[in-house]
Amino acid sequence: MYHNSSQKKFWTFSSEEHLEQLRYEANQRLRAKVLGSARDLTAFSESLFLDPLEEAVLFRHYERRLLDFCTNFKPVMPKSVVGTANMYFRRFYVNNSLMEYHPRIIMLTCAYLACKVDEFNVSSSQFVGNLQETSAGQEKALEQILEYELLLIQQLNFHLVVHNPYRPMEGFLIDLKTRYLTLENPEMLRKTADDFLNRAMLTDVGLLFSPSQIALTAVLNSASRAGINMESYLTECLGLKEDKETLSKMIDSMKRIKTLLKKYEPPNPEEVSTYKQKLERIHTEFIINTNS
Amino acid sequence: MDDQSCPRCKTTKYRNPSLKLMVNVCGHTLCESCVEMLFVRGSGNCVQCDTPLRKSNFRVQLFEDPAVDKEVEIRKKVLKIYNKRETDFPNLRQYNDYLEQVEEIVFNLTNNIDVENTKRLMEHYQRENRDIIQRNKAKLTREQEELEELLMLEQKETEQRRLDTLQEEQRQLLAKKKKKQALLDELESSRLPAMLLLAQHKDRAAQLETQIEIQRQVVKPTIFSTGIPMGQTISLQPVVQMEEVLYRYQPLRINTYGPPVPEFEQLGRLGYLTHVRAASPQDMAGGYSSALACHRALQDAFSGVFPLQH
Repeated sequence: MYHNSSQKKFWTFSSEEHLEQLRYEANQRLRAKVLGSARDLTAFSESLFLDPLEEAVLFRHYERRLLDFCTNFKPVMPKSVVGTANMYFRRFYVNNSLMEYHPRIIMLTCAYLACKVDEFNVSSSQFVGNLQETSAGQEKALEQILEYELLLIQQLNFHLVVHNPYRPMEGFLIDLKTRYLTLENPEMLRKTADDFLNRAMLTDVGLLFSPSQIALTAVLNSASRAGINMESYLTECLGLKEDKETLSKMIDSMKRIKTLLKKYEPPNPEEVSTYKQKLERIHTEFIINTNS
Repeated sequence: MDDQSCPRCKTTKYRNPSLKLMVNVCGHTLCESCVEMLFVRGSGNCVQCDTPLRKSNFRVQLFEDPAVDKEVEIRKKVLKIYNKRETDFPNLRQYNDYLEQVEEIVFNLTNNIDVENTKRLMEHYQRENRDIIQRNKAKLTREQEELEELLMLEQKETEQRRLDTLQEEQRQLLAKKKKKQALLDELESSRLPAMLLLAQHKDRAAQLETQIEIQRQVVKPTIFSTGIPMGQTISLQPVVQMEEVLYRYQPLRINTYGPPVPEFEQLGRLGYLTHVRAASPQDMAGGYSSALACHRALQDAFSGVFPLQH
């Protein structure tokens, strides 16, 4: 369960600033590493490196690519697998820089590992069959995936179980239907709540809040969009009538989740292509430098 | 098992597992046939270290490692000279020091360290303590004799017991034969009906058996099997009573950081199950019930909803 999971202990951070700090540190570490091992220091200038904001843009781009890959996956990938893959991708790049490990491969490795962990049985050949490439290209991709798999697991600190907000959302809907009879048809909330959760996946909320909080926010948000006020659910059914402090804290967290969702901007294609070029250049230079 | 092969003929050890290895004073092994061969030619030199040997010096190897055998031999010789006992020393420290000395000597001789010096030391010691050595030798022989006597006694006793049981068996066989014969005779000669005779016979046999049993019981054991004679009071230390705190079961309490989840058994009554997809017969066969999925969803929904007190 979430309350004694590794996700709660190690992968739920206190604030967005903390996450920014960690990403910044990863970026710095990589810069130091490259500059430290570079044979020819003149070849490397500070401008060649990506800064955290540029990395964030690229990250969002590749995240979308991951989601597209998962939605077009045959056989149909269950939502929890998609959520898990996304979470792995996000967690990996909290502690590592995009310049060190190219997101294209890591993205596939995350999806592959998520299938295994979530017991969605896909053979490796079936997996790479979903890639839009020649069979030789697919072979090469598979090799790369297998190479990076152990690294990914290591960087996740071997914490492979991810709790997604989908089941809590179902739970809330069941609870609403049974106990909260002021709302006639909770089913109508489902679609908007689903949409909310999909948008939430693209943000950092998974690393900041518990999945049940996200699910609750999704439900309450879709209710308020439909014009229904569901505060009485919180006070009555969740037993928070007396506990004003927890109630206010919960409302606070929900506001924060909503703001995070609003802040999300989809990546700009021009920016993405410029940064991508930079990234490719860094990767080729880096590989040459480490191999030579 | 012996996985060694004789250093000379190598193969014969594997082929002939009953072949024994012999060890000599330099610590090297040779199988029996090789020993014969070596002394046929008259010269007695060890194959590996070329020390001159006598045929009598070869002993059957008891241990797998020939070095151990060598040490055992050396120890026997040393202890013949250094045979002081604990009672010969005024305190424990000196006795231990003496033992340490002996060990060093044995070690040096086994590993061929400082052999000259060690031999000189031994001779010196022998000369100084000649009378003590003699006295202890006498004591040793006496002790050995006593041990031998005890062993003989034991052997005799086991022999005796064996003979006794044999005799018993024979007696029983004879008795049986006699009874059968008696029965047949009676059946022939007597006038009573056959059934009555058989019954009488059976009674007598039963009586005899009980008699024998009573007799056996009369031969009471006088000692327990461990050798302690019966009736002897043995003072044992009283068992220390340990008082410890009794274990009290405390049920496990886990903080779920959320509102309480309804009990699994109450789900149906509370009306949750109507809002969950019903379980098909195939699912139920495997042990699944819709309450399981419902309960899991509710647990997940309520776990961690309340924000942490940062």
